[in-house]
Amino acid sequence: MKTSNFERKALAIPYALFMVFFVIFPLLVILYYGFTDGEGHVSLENFLNFFRSAKTVGTLIYSLVIAVMVTAICLLIAYPVAYILAKGEYARKHAFLMVFVLPMWINFTLRITAMKEILTVLEGNLAYHPFMNTIICMVYDFLPFMIMPLFNSLTKLDNSMLEASADLGANKWQTIFKVVIPLTIPGIVSGITMVFLPAMTNYVVLDMVYNSTYIMGSLIGSYFNAYDWNNGSLISAILLMFIGLFTIITNHLIAGEEGGRRR
Amino acid sequence: MRRGSFWIASGVVLSSLLTGCSGESEGDEVVLRISNWEEYIDLGDWDEEELIELEDGTEIIGENSLIEDFEEWYYETYGVKVRVEYSTFGTNEELYNQITIGDTYDLVCPSEYMIMKMLNEGMLLEFSEDFKDVENEENYYVRGLSPYIAQRFNDINIDGKALRDYAAGYMWGTLGIVYNPEEISDEEASSWKLLLNTSYRKRMTIKDSVRDAYFAAIAIHYYDQITDEQFLALPDYKEQLSAMLNRTDVDTVAGVEEILSDIKDNMYAFETDSGKADMVTGKVIANQQWSGDAVYTMDQADEDGVELCYAMPEEGSNLWFDGWVMLKKGIEEDPRKQQAAEAFANFCARPDNAIRNMYYIGYTSVISGGDDDRIFQYVDWSYSAEEDEEDVVDYEIGYFFTPDEEEYSEYTITCSEDQTRRQLHAQYPLYEEVEKSVIMYFFPAQENERINRMWTNVRCFDLLEFLKIK
Repeated sequence: MKTSNFERKALAIPYALFMVFFVIFPLLVILYYGFTDGEGHVSLENFLNFFRSAKTVGTLIYSLVIAVMVTAICLLIAYPVAYILAKGEYARKHAFLMVFVLPMWINFTLRITAMKEILTVLEGNLAYHPFMNTIICMVYDFLPFMIMPLFNSLTKLDNSMLEASADLGANKWQTIFKVVIPLTIPGIVSGITMVFLPAMTNYVVLDMVYNSTYIMGSLIGSYFNAYDWNNGSLISAILLMFIGLFTIITNHLIAGEEGGRRR
Repeated sequence: MRRGSFWIASGVVLSSLLTGCSGESEGDEVVLRISNWEEYIDLGDWDEEELIELEDGTEIIGENSLIEDFEEWYYETYGVKVRVEYSTFGTNEELYNQITIGDTYDLVCPSEYMIMKMLNEGMLLEFSEDFKDVENEENYYVRGLSPYIAQRFNDINIDGKALRDYAAGYMWGTLGIVYNPEEISDEEASSWKLLLNTSYRKRMTIKDSVRDAYFAAIAIHYYDQITDEQFLALPDYKEQLSAMLNRTDVDTVAGVEEILSDIKDNMYAFETDSGKADMVTGKVIANQQWSGDAVYTMDQADEDGVELCYAMPEEGSNLWFDGWVMLKKGIEEDPRKQQAAEAFANFCARPDNAIRNMYYIGYTSVISGGDDDRIFQYVDWSYSAEEDEEDVVDYEIGYFFTPDEEEYSEYTITCSEDQTRRQLHAQYPLYEEVEKSVIMYFFPAQENERINRMWTNVRCFDLLEFLKIK
């Protein structure tokens, strides 16, 4: 018995090494650069400066607004789509799912280029609506990442739950809001995480649709271009903080939801 | 002109990576690690009809990549095997960051300001006396370097070190504006102020690069001074112009910030790579561009039946060049390595190789050929008008080829009239124009921080303004 136990543990070593080299070590490097000055002294100066400047805070807010809007729109579009795909009664269900997921297999720069041309036909000159175009292209880009997890958790949802809800007198809407949505919270959360964080930093989309305003991703790039690794890392660290905060909040939400159900 | 496809380029990089991993370095083999711009060297594989036939009967064609040809040539000439590990970079900053992280290269090809920065930080190795020996007929670089470019190099000293001792030029050019003559007049395009012209609102682009944007804006900022008659007539006009366009003091940077904010409002976008294609499709009608890319854009547009032109604004243009420099950290005082590195820079300067590169990448070599007049023949071959062509003019570019002013007229190309605003003009501007172009120095740490802050200010979302207005 003892030997087999040892072997099982040994199997985890590669993963542990992977975590150390590709997750923990880079994080430490980012934190080191973020909270030291050019000479290697620990300093909160960069951190404070970030929140003192209206421009950098403006960038943070601009990125957040983009990310929130993109995530919300994705969720609003994806949920009904995923529901129909998962629960609808029709032939060739998987072919339909394919149509929505297929874009994931095509490189996103190619997809955005196509979308850009469509928008050019519709709008004439893209430069007059950079913000709207950014939202449209990001939604288009990230939609499949929202549909997939929602579809997965909706297919796992037992139909008998819906029947029970109907038997107990709930109408269709009540069933959706009181039964379906609470039971698919994990899918919603993973969909949001898949969309929200990339939407804050994916500056390639902005470049491609001619939005010359910086978001967090481009700000990091600009500092590294100016050989300022400290500020570049600091902004990455601030983003990291937001991600952490976001994960903690959503975990609480899930936990609260599950606790509520148990009661 | 043609451009190597991305696939060929990445293939070469990949194969060099693979060979780099496979073979242990043998005792008698020298490994030379080179890093160059993407698509910035002849990778060979030309079609047969691309053969260049010069007047004197020389035939030039790129069969193999210049890198392979170098390995072969080096073995034949010096009897030593050299293996080139060739890789590429996308921006000067990327290269610099790679080197500071710890990547080692022996020979790299950054732009002038990065060379100055590296020189300032003591990263570079001086070229040997053998390399600079004019007597040796095989020293293509020193014998072939354009006298005009050499003279401009001579002006550059960093901390008492002459740039010409540490760098061997590769390609050069200017910064200007590519424009569509059907929409924009030559006159309008001849000033950086075009970028602020609201009648072309949202139909122009500018490069998404601090330095290029800064240059255009500073020329607008000092427009009144540098176009003033008295200023133009100053005996030390060139030095004064250079000093003014290189200013980085607080007031100047503040002025530039204001102008760049206005430019941002007026632009279609700050573009990283889309400008060339958007000019061809007509989405934008003017585009700040480096001369080499301008040539490429005009070539592409020609294929689509669109005529585009290139203008160098009258305030002054930015004269830039890329050059080979040896890194101390890579060479590590290994004389065999240094010899191979110098030989590579020299090999690129051999007139037939310079022509191959120019044809392949569309940029202009700093080599004029010295006694060898094949470079001029090539320019003539590329641009001289057909015999039955009307509207031909004489275009004199002797300043580039000979130090002797009396011989300037011998280097005259009879070309169609529109070439004086198009590819030929972009590759070899006229003497008066190039004399107005300024080499832009690197920004020292403090100034760099100031300018970068200015740039982030221009590019970031302005929360205060947003709250005030709405």
